[in-house]
Amino acid sequence: MRINSNLAKLAAVALSVTYTGLAHAELNVFACEPEYAALTKELAPTASIYSATTALQDPHQVQARPSLIAKMRQADLVVCAGADLEVGWLPMLQMKSANAKVRSTDHGLFFAADQIETLDKLASVDRSMGDVHVQGNPHIHFDPTRLLKVATALSAKLTQLDPAGAADYQKSLADFTTRWQAAVPRWEAQAKGLQGKKVIAYHSSFRYLFNWIGIEQVADLEPKPGLAPTSGHLASLLTRAEQGDILAVVVASYQDERGAKWLGEKANLPVVMLPMSVGGNDKSQDLFSLYDSVISLLNGVK
Amino acid sequence: MTVLNTRISLVALACAFVSPSLLAEDSSLTNPAISAVLNGYYQTGERPLAESPDGFGLGETELAMSANIDDMFYGKITAVVEMHDGDTELNLEEAFIQTMAMPAGLSIRGGRFLSDIGYLNNQHLHTDSFTDRPVVYRAFLGGHYFDDGIRFNYVAPTDLYWTMGVEAFKGDSLRAADEHGEREFKKVGVYTLYSKIGGDIGDNSSWQAGLSYLRNENGQVTAHEEGEHEDEHAHGDEHAHGDEHAHGDEHEGHSHAASYTGKNTYGADFVYKWAPNGNYKYQNLTVSGEYYRVSDFTPIDLHPEDAPSQDYHQGWYLSSVYQFTPSWSAGVRYGEADTQELHGDHFHGQKLKESEVSLAWHSSHFSTVRFQYTNQKGTNFDGIEDDNIFTIQYIMSLGAHGAHQF
Repeated sequence: MRINSNLAKLAAVALSVTYTGLAHAELNVFACEPEYAALTKELAPTASIYSATTALQDPHQVQARPSLIAKMRQADLVVCAGADLEVGWLPMLQMKSANAKVRSTDHGLFFAADQIETLDKLASVDRSMGDVHVQGNPHIHFDPTRLLKVATALSAKLTQLDPAGAADYQKSLADFTTRWQAAVPRWEAQAKGLQGKKVIAYHSSFRYLFNWIGIEQVADLEPKPGLAPTSGHLASLLTRAEQGDILAVVVASYQDERGAKWLGEKANLPVVMLPMSVGGNDKSQDLFSLYDSVISLLNGVK
Repeated sequence: MTVLNTRISLVALACAFVSPSLLAEDSSLTNPAISAVLNGYYQTGERPLAESPDGFGLGETELAMSANIDDMFYGKITAVVEMHDGDTELNLEEAFIQTMAMPAGLSIRGGRFLSDIGYLNNQHLHTDSFTDRPVVYRAFLGGHYFDDGIRFNYVAPTDLYWTMGVEAFKGDSLRAADEHGEREFKKVGVYTLYSKIGGDIGDNSSWQAGLSYLRNENGQVTAHEEGEHEDEHAHGDEHAHGDEHAHGDEHEGHSHAASYTGKNTYGADFVYKWAPNGNYKYQNLTVSGEYYRVSDFTPIDLHPEDAPSQDYHQGWYLSSVYQFTPSWSAGVRYGEADTQELHGDHFHGQKLKESEVSLAWHSSHFSTVRFQYTNQKGTNFDGIEDDNIFTIQYIMSLGAHGAHQF
C-alpha cells in the first residue's frame, strides 16, 4: 500500500519533471473543503491535494476520523475556510496528527476567512442564538471578489512554503486571475434577472452568493442556526410564503431536503438544490463550472 | 487536604475565566477554550462498580480549560466535581501538557491524562451514549483510567492511519488491595503499549482498530501471613487469606480504583462509523466493541489447591448507536464481566451480564436528555440475579465547542 503510493508519487514527480521541467518539490496539501481543494488545484496544478470533505458533507459536523489524521500527518499545507467553521474537528486533527508544519498560520496553515472581511460578524454570541460564528459567516467561496483575494493570499502562502516554485505559482495565479475576471462579468450578466428576488433558504450557506447577485433571503428553514427545521417553524414559513413574493426554496447539497419539499408542496414553490461546492452535482467539476451550475439552476426557476 | 485546596483554587481559577466578555470575544483556536458540562440523573437502581448511586444524583460535572501555551506546547485542565454520599468531591481528571512541534510525527504528553489504551478510555464520560461505562471498564479500569504519568506517541506517515504509543503511570488507582498497609508498591506501577490503525471505506464509512497491553506492577494480589491473627512467625509459608480484592468503593469511600486487577491486561478494540455520504448531521451509525483479559492476578505463592478454576478475568462489550434524526438517537449495548473473586483462601467465579437500551433527545449539538433501561443478570455478583434499572439523565455543555475524537 505504502510502496504503491510512494511509487505513484515518484511516477507523478517524474512525469511532471518530464513534461513541465519542474524541479521543485511537490507540495502535499490538505484542504478542509472541496472548494479549497479546487482553488489550490488552480494555483498549484502539480501539488498532491486531498479534500477532507465532499460537497455532500456538512463541514460543521465532520468526524476527526483516522483517515484525516493520516492525511494531515503528511501535509505540508492545510487550507481551510476558517472563522471557526472547522472548530469541531480541525483542532483534534492537529493534535492527533502531530505535524508541526501545519500548526500555525505562520507556516503551513491557511484560513481563507483570515484574508477577507467576513459578513455578519457578531459583537456577542449566546448559544440561545443557535450555532453562530462570532467571526462571521465562513461560507465565503461564493463571493467572486473575496475568493480572488483568497487566491492571491493562497498563492503567496504556496510561494512561502515552496520558494523554488515561485515562478510557477505566479504564472498559475495570473492565469487564474485572468480567467476569473473574465468570468465574473459573464456570471453577473446571467444573474441579472435574479436581482431583487426573494428566497427561503436552509442556513446561511449561500449568504455570499445572495449578497453578490442581489437575492434576498427572507427566511431560514432552520429555526436557529444549526438546528434542524421543526414543524412549527415550517408552518410559520408557510404563512410567510403565502404572501406570494418568494421565488424558490433553496437548499445546499449537504442539507436535508424534506423540510424544503414540504414547504415547496404546501406553498407551491420550486425547491432548488444548489451544489455547496465542487462535486455537489455532476456539472460542478471546478470553481468555474460550480458558479455556472449555481447560476443556471437559479435561473431555471424564474 | 492541601491537595484538595489546590484543586479548589484551580477550579476557582477556571471559573474566573468563564466570563461573558471572554466568550464574546474572538474565540480563535489559540484563545483558551473554556467549557463546562452539566450532568444530572434519576435512576431506579445502582449498577455494580459504577459511580452513580440510585435516586436523584449528579454525574460528573466538568470544568475544562485548554489552549496552546505557546508554539511548542498545548495544555489542558479538566476539573471534575462529583457528589458521593452527600460529600462534594473535587478531582482533577486532566492536567497535562503536550508537545505540538516535535518532528517526525512524535509527541509527548505529560501530567495527568486519560490513558490511550482501548477505544473508550481516552474519551470523556460526557461523550458516551450510555449513562455508565460498560461493566468491563468499571471492573478493570475503574470506569476510565486516568493517572499521572507520561506518554510517547508516534504517528506513521502512511495513508493508512497507524499510531503507536507507550505510557508510564504512577498506577495508584490500579493497585491491588493492601488492607494491612504492609506492601511496598512500586512507584511507577503501570506501563502501557498500544497501537491503532484506521481508515475509510468509500465516502460512507470509517473504522479504527486497536490493540493494547497494560503491565501493572502492583496489580497482583499479595498474600499475607496466615498466622497474623495468631503467631506472626510460626509459619514460613504463606496463604492467601481473607477477602483480598480492592473494593475501592466499599472500603475507601468513593474512588476511581479498579476492582479487579492483575499483572497483565490485554485488550482489543474496534469502532466502525457510517453515515450516508459521510454526512454525519442527519443520520449516522456507530458500532464499537472492546475485549479485555486480565491475567496473573493470583498471589505468587498461592497454594495450587486454592488456584481459581479460571486463571484470568475477562470482559467485553458490543455497542451500537444510531442517530436517526439530528434530534434523536437510540443505542443498544451488551456487556459482560467474568471475574474471580477471592473469598477466604479460595476464589469464586462470578459473572455479570448487562443488556442496555438507550434513547436520547438532542435539542441541539450541546444538550442531551437520555432514557436508559438496563437489565443485569448476575452469577454470584454482589447478589445480583435479574435486576432492572431505569435511568433518565441530562448532559449539557456550555462554553467552548470542544472538538470530539473519532
